[in-house]
Amino acid sequence: MARMKFLCDADRCIECNACVTACKNEHEVPWGINRRRVVTINDGKPGERSVSMACMHCTDAPCAAVCPVNCFYTTADGVVLHSKDLCIGCGYCFYACPFGAPQYPKVGNFGSRGKMDKCTFCAGGPEADGSREEYEKYGANRLAEGKLPLCAEMCSTKSLLAGDGEIIAQIYKERVMKRGYGSGAWGWKTAYRETIES
Amino acid sequence: MASLGRFIRLTVGACAFLLVIAASVPCNAQQVNPTASSVKEQQLLQELNRIQGRVSIPDQRSGVLEQPAGRDWREFRNVTLRWIGGITIIGMIAVLVIFYLTRGMVRLESGRSGRTIVRFSAFERFVHWMTATCFIVLAISGLNITFGRPLLLPLVGFEAFSEWSQWAKYAHNYLSFPFTIGVALIFLMWIAGNIPNKVDVDWLKRGGGIVGHDHPPAYRFNAGQKAIYWIVVIGGGAVAVTGYELMFPFYLSGIEGMQLAQIVHSIVAVLFIAAMLGHIYIGTIGMEGAFDAMGTGDVDLNWAKEHHSLWVEEEQAKGHAPSGGTSRPVAAE
Amino acid sequence: MKAFVAALLFAAIAAVGMSILLNIIQEPSSVAFTTSGARVGDPGNNLVGPNG
Repeated sequence: MARMKFLCDADRCIECNACVTACKNEHEVPWGINRRRVVTINDGKPGERSVSMACMHCTDAPCAAVCPVNCFYTTADGVVLHSKDLCIGCGYCFYACPFGAPQYPKVGNFGSRGKMDKCTFCAGGPEADGSREEYEKYGANRLAEGKLPLCAEMCSTKSLLAGDGEIIAQIYKERVMKRGYGSGAWGWKTAYRETIES
Repeated sequence: MASLGRFIRLTVGACAFLLVIAASVPCNAQQVNPTASSVKEQQLLQELNRIQGRVSIPDQRSGVLEQPAGRDWREFRNVTLRWIGGITIIGMIAVLVIFYLTRGMVRLESGRSGRTIVRFSAFERFVHWMTATCFIVLAISGLNITFGRPLLLPLVGFEAFSEWSQWAKYAHNYLSFPFTIGVALIFLMWIAGNIPNKVDVDWLKRGGGIVGHDHPPAYRFNAGQKAIYWIVVIGGGAVAVTGYELMFPFYLSGIEGMQLAQIVHSIVAVLFIAAMLGHIYIGTIGMEGAFDAMGTGDVDLNWAKEHHSLWVEEEQAKGHAPSGGTSRPVAAE
Repeated sequence: MKAFVAALLFAAIAAVGMSILLNIIQEPSSVAFTTSGARVGDPGNNLVGPNG
């Protein structure tokens, strides 16, 4: 069984934001909700680095653990999803998430910020696969069609990889060996409790 | 000679050809790492325990790439807090039950006199009950956030629990306003009577008369009540401040501030609940004649003399209370 | 008894009043994070529902 993960090769990311645009377009994400974002560290200085970040679909997801109403579930592929029908919008998942993945449609006024929204690994939600209700609540379900997340598909430098953890770790290892350097799989230690030897 | 020239041209051409071939092969021994001076993930995490950068999104919170402190907060909230809350609240309930079964209700030893003295005005009772009823709802809805999922959700199912939690959360958020007003009014109304003094030290040394038949003198509020007052004012103030910080996320602080606010809010809240259980006990079944103070506002004169003798003397001197010597028991009507 | 009922009433009115006030001043993310550089029309209701 595949175990889906994201891997952003921080040595290749050029901050083009194609991943962000692809996600926004595919799921018709409204302005103000940022499922995926590109963060640039040391912007403009030597040693600048950009990393694309969305939900990492952690092993033992902290968001799922702290949710007061237990609205999260992990699929057989390791994708962490949640039910917007059960969500009470309290915001605890955002405090627990190491990556800032949960998003809320409104600001201020705890608990009235609307239902939490986050990256779904293009795997939709609890509604029927590919249905209109699912699209309106969670966005497109590409995984059900046998496709991988669009952000990784659209990455202009193939820095963002998405798919089975073993396969993308292998791809990354080969890259690092071929070019001779690699800053590691960002976020993997925190999300999956493993690193890729490079 | 022509053949020598041809030979030289051939050799030079062959060497050039070989040189071109050799130069086009990538030279593995001299690979350049263009990102050698760039930051590394583990280095940043060790230095700052968070990784932050620049984003082009107007919501600047998204600039935090990684904050592993979230996992520590999860451990506190799921494990530590549940232990602390469980032990203090269940522990307090156990102590009260044992106390009631052994000591029983503190009786009015000289019996009811049939005459009363005004203890609390209508406004004081209004403020107390507003704060108290809001506290009950806030306590239940707050405990639901921490303990609801393991204790209540398995009993009622997902949809019902989410619906209940949604309403509990609204009640918690909005009743916090009258609760805060109540705490502020309590602070102002009763500050004069709640400054600790020597009489309190003496009262405490005699255990407040909670065991045996001692009746240490006290003014309007005894040391135990003063403790409750300060717990309400300080604890109530703490939960109000942290509560509003949680209610308006990120207005005052970043994510570490929000996690800290939740920690302080929840710890103070569970201790507050345990303290209030004691207060509710003593004001209802724990002591005969005590509830009248907040129920009607008028307490029996004998009750007042037994538990707040110095206050009765003050009130009699002011002419607010029926004067009289020692009380005599009168048959209840 | 009157004080108790008055207390409940005041608490309920205060709570409802604050809920109305806070809902009026609350903003959707699309409004809160609009900048002078970004002209946002109707961002649509996908993912956030009709009230988002």
